[in-house]
Amino acid sequence: MKKEELTYTAAKEEIEKIVGLIDSEELDVDQLAKHVKRATYLVDYCKKKLTSTDEELQKVLEELSV
Amino acid sequence: MEQTIFSLLELNLNVKEAIRQNFDEAYWVRAETSDVRPHRNGHCFLEFIEKAQDGHSIVAKARGTIWASTFNLLKPYFEQETGQSFASGITVLVKVVVNFHESYGYGLNVVDIDPSYTLGEIARNRMLVLKQLEEDGVLELNKELPLAEPLNRIAVISSQTAAGYEDFHNQLENNSAGVIFYTKLFPAIMQGDRSEPSIIAALEEIFKYQSLFDAVVIIRGGGASSDLSCFDSFNLATNSAQFPLPIISGVGHERDVTVLDAVAHTRVKTPTAAAEFLINRAVETINHLMGLQDRLVHASRNILTIEERQLAAWSKDLYHTSKSVLQTNRNTLMFLGEKLRSVVKQKMEREHFAIKKYDHFVSLSSPEKMLKRGFSITTKNGKVIKSISNLSNEDVIKTQLSDGIIESKIVDKK
Repeated sequence: MKKEELTYTAAKEEIEKIVGLIDSEELDVDQLAKHVKRATYLVDYCKKKLTSTDEELQKVLEELSV
Repeated sequence: MEQTIFSLLELNLNVKEAIRQNFDEAYWVRAETSDVRPHRNGHCFLEFIEKAQDGHSIVAKARGTIWASTFNLLKPYFEQETGQSFASGITVLVKVVVNFHESYGYGLNVVDIDPSYTLGEIARNRMLVLKQLEEDGVLELNKELPLAEPLNRIAVISSQTAAGYEDFHNQLENNSAGVIFYTKLFPAIMQGDRSEPSIIAALEEIFKYQSLFDAVVIIRGGGASSDLSCFDSFNLATNSAQFPLPIISGVGHERDVTVLDAVAHTRVKTPTAAAEFLINRAVETINHLMGLQDRLVHASRNILTIEERQLAAWSKDLYHTSKSVLQTNRNTLMFLGEKLRSVVKQKMEREHFAIKKYDHFVSLSSPEKMLKRGFSITTKNGKVIKSISNLSNEDVIKTQLSDGIIESKIVDKK
């Protein structure tokens, strides 16, 4: 079974949501820390998806007999 | 009986002469090219064919020759006008001279060509195919597919040997955005009449693994321009239009828009342009991400700055308020202190005054003063005498005056 994996699109949507929340200045400082932490994690996740090789995928493609 | 027997040569020469006499002009003929073989010496040899209405069986055939002197002009002219190479499988309008050679047989020698016919044929075919696709409701299907984000898993249909794929792959590998692309080549024949089934087979193969990819790129390139007619085929187009992954078509020439180009999600002119398209999207994705990150940093810094300012303001307030409270208290203390002092002073002064009065009174009443004023104190046996009743004649009394004591005897009392 494939575990529920965060997709790039979903991650980006969440980042946008958090940024919007922070922008609106409705967060108090405690929540701010929590949300910034989450958003930073998501940004890193997206960056990694783009710039570092998914070894598993690479392997699968190479092994495709065409 | 007499039979006229001809030698083969004689028969052929007769036929040759007959044809020469009866077909002494050049004729404009429309036909399909087949087996086009340019020769090293510059001549071009080919076959002209005509297919039946059903498009399958051949109903007429003729050998064709284009001499170098003609071909050197004809080929570039044709290719420039139509954007297609002079190759097999295209419908052309050529001006031919019929000849019959005693050894080589029947043949047509091409002296001119009208590229607009071919253009027209190409265009006409395209229109028909596009119309059919539209009627089938599939024309726009591939275009309507959304492009995944990130768009970096690419199935490539291209020639195994041509440099097109290599260049494409290298471009993606070394992109300035630092984005990782995953490409897989599904090789196919990209020109000639075997290309249509070959490309379709490649698409079917990709279909099996569609979950591994975000898009299909069909490219062809590097080097000789060749016949685009396979990309106008209905079969290929309908397969592509209905393909579940977006197709990026990079097979065309500068100006030609093949049917495949028309149904593909995105059309680019060259393999390089295809790579650029993908890289640009990746750059956009990264920029967007970076933008979000900036906003995140900015917005949270903003909030922290606001909180800092608030705290600073409060602490300043706190400082000033407490300073002021202290000051007020100090003032009050000082004031009270003053008041205390003044009250005490007043009281002391009153007391002093009171005491002074007593003092004065006391001092006025003091025995010394009294004595000095002439009063005296009389004592008898040490007791102070205040009344004459205590005294009788012959009593000895002491009388204290201011500067001494006298002793006296009473002689008379009144």
